[in-house]
Amino acid sequence: MRIIVCAKHVVDSTEIRWDDEHDEVVLRNLPTKISDYDRNALEAAVVLKESEPSVDLDVVMIGGEAALKTLKEAVAMGADRGHLVEGGWDDPFDPLRSARVLAKAIDQLEEPDLVMCGLVSEDGYNGVTGAALAQLLDVPYLAPVVGLKVDEGSLEAVLDVGSALRTVKVAMPCVVAVDSAMNVPRLPTVLQVMKVKGDRVAKMSLDSLSLSADAAELAHAGELVGSESGAVERRRVLIEEAPDEAAARLVEYLRQEGVL
Amino acid sequence: MMAGRFVVSSASVTDLQRMAELARRLAGADGRVDAVALAGDAGVLAPEDGTLADTAGGLAGLADTLLVYEGAGEYLRGDMWAAALVDAVGRDGECVLVADAPAAREAVARTAVSCRASVASMCEDLQRAEGGGFVARRSIYGGVADGLIALVSTPAVCLFAAGKFEGAPSGESVPVEQRTLGAPAYEVTHVGDEPVVRTVDLAGASVVVSVGRGFVKREDLDLVDPLVSALGAELGCSRPIAEDFKWLPKERLVGLTGESVTAELYLALGISGQVQHLTGVKGARVVAAVNNDAKAPITRNADYVVVGDLYKVVPELVNALRSRS
Repeated sequence: MRIIVCAKHVVDSTEIRWDDEHDEVVLRNLPTKISDYDRNALEAAVVLKESEPSVDLDVVMIGGEAALKTLKEAVAMGADRGHLVEGGWDDPFDPLRSARVLAKAIDQLEEPDLVMCGLVSEDGYNGVTGAALAQLLDVPYLAPVVGLKVDEGSLEAVLDVGSALRTVKVAMPCVVAVDSAMNVPRLPTVLQVMKVKGDRVAKMSLDSLSLSADAAELAHAGELVGSESGAVERRRVLIEEAPDEAAARLVEYLRQEGVL
Repeated sequence: MMAGRFVVSSASVTDLQRMAELARRLAGADGRVDAVALAGDAGVLAPEDGTLADTAGGLAGLADTLLVYEGAGEYLRGDMWAAALVDAVGRDGECVLVADAPAAREAVARTAVSCRASVASMCEDLQRAEGGGFVARRSIYGGVADGLIALVSTPAVCLFAAGKFEGAPSGESVPVEQRTLGAPAYEVTHVGDEPVVRTVDLAGASVVVSVGRGFVKREDLDLVDPLVSALGAELGCSRPIAEDFKWLPKERLVGLTGESVTAELYLALGISGQVQHLTGVKGARVVAAVNNDAKAPITRNADYVVVGDLYKVVPELVNALRSRS
């Protein structure tokens, strides 16, 4: 069985700040990583591979040179190889473009039975890319997946649809988006990441995907054109007394606010 | 050229009204607004919490027509929903507005691909752009900022955050047009549902006490029980507690990937205040916190912050609340 996990190279979302002075979101010089939710997808794929060693597992990632380190980390979780699609920045506000590039890349690889990704990306939170990819590949899409079982060409998945845990069965190929509740992703050790040699990660140029710079697939369908601070102004009263006095003071403030 | 035509759809009646109201504002009196409903084996699937008569009544003055797609199957499926939306958009649909729900993201994504559209998620507002197209407003990077997303290709497909809407349906019905969906594009066998009983209502609670990584062990969460009962609060948590450590179920998660509170009082215990968490707290009137780090982001995003050891402060808070009453 062939599995392809689409993992996203992102700026660590917990480090992103708003710069009041320049009125902009600061993204420069921040640590980058595998999008958290895609690590859940990778973990689910590696678990399938552990139970069925014949599983062949590829990771596909869009990004520039800087994404290579992230891709190696993803492969080190237990994949056979990684493919870096040299499509530049994987724009969080243009999930359709991401899906089109990923679909082109998957077309170039040996046909997968199962394509997996996280439910959302930690920078865009769109929840669109996986389903758009399913539409482009013309296959079923299952989400949010909290349980998976593979059985001779068909896939049984448990979906968390809010009011119920719904079990469904589809014939593969299909795309599944994994919910973070499904598992706790393993952290590859530094040594495991170092052991991912160059021959296990390959680059795919846009040329090799027959995508010229002006290809329709690369045209922006959504673009961030402005931003302003999202913060809510609060009073910021600090209470730094001993625990009993601090507690009494907080209760007093809350009583004055009329919320007790 | 005819005035713009909008397509709106939603899994709930109130969200459908909200989408229709926004579409009407953008379409103007000359424009056209078509609402999409799906009906299947068990009756109306979307919007699920009302009959067709309720739905058509709630749309009076907002939508021109309610298109009802029969044959949507056993439960609301994203691919079937997309098939209905694509049909409703037709050749001249300018914009599609859908409120978020479990199958909505698949519906929106498939529709956008099929219609060669542009798409934006998590929208909070939508305006026409100068020179054509639309601009959607949404929270970006987990709530760090509000961003404007230009949607350049037509139709523009917009997924709105699910929300509360105090609609005032006039009761006068809009015309209903029945249509039938073809066979599903994909065969999905429904093996069964195991109902999940949700006992937690964080979004509607008037007091929420939330716990974070300041708690060292799972057992230590017992410390907050007396405080939760003294305040008559609902217990919430930050992402690591629900998603990484899995100490509490995800229905207690406050933040971007969980619930957004509207509480009078939100009390954050041992929560550093990552922006993804704060996004879910924006709707709280008063935010209080107990944290041992005066430099943690929560101190800039709370009204009252006790800087101290929560293991010592929480029992004292219970004492202070009890002695007051």
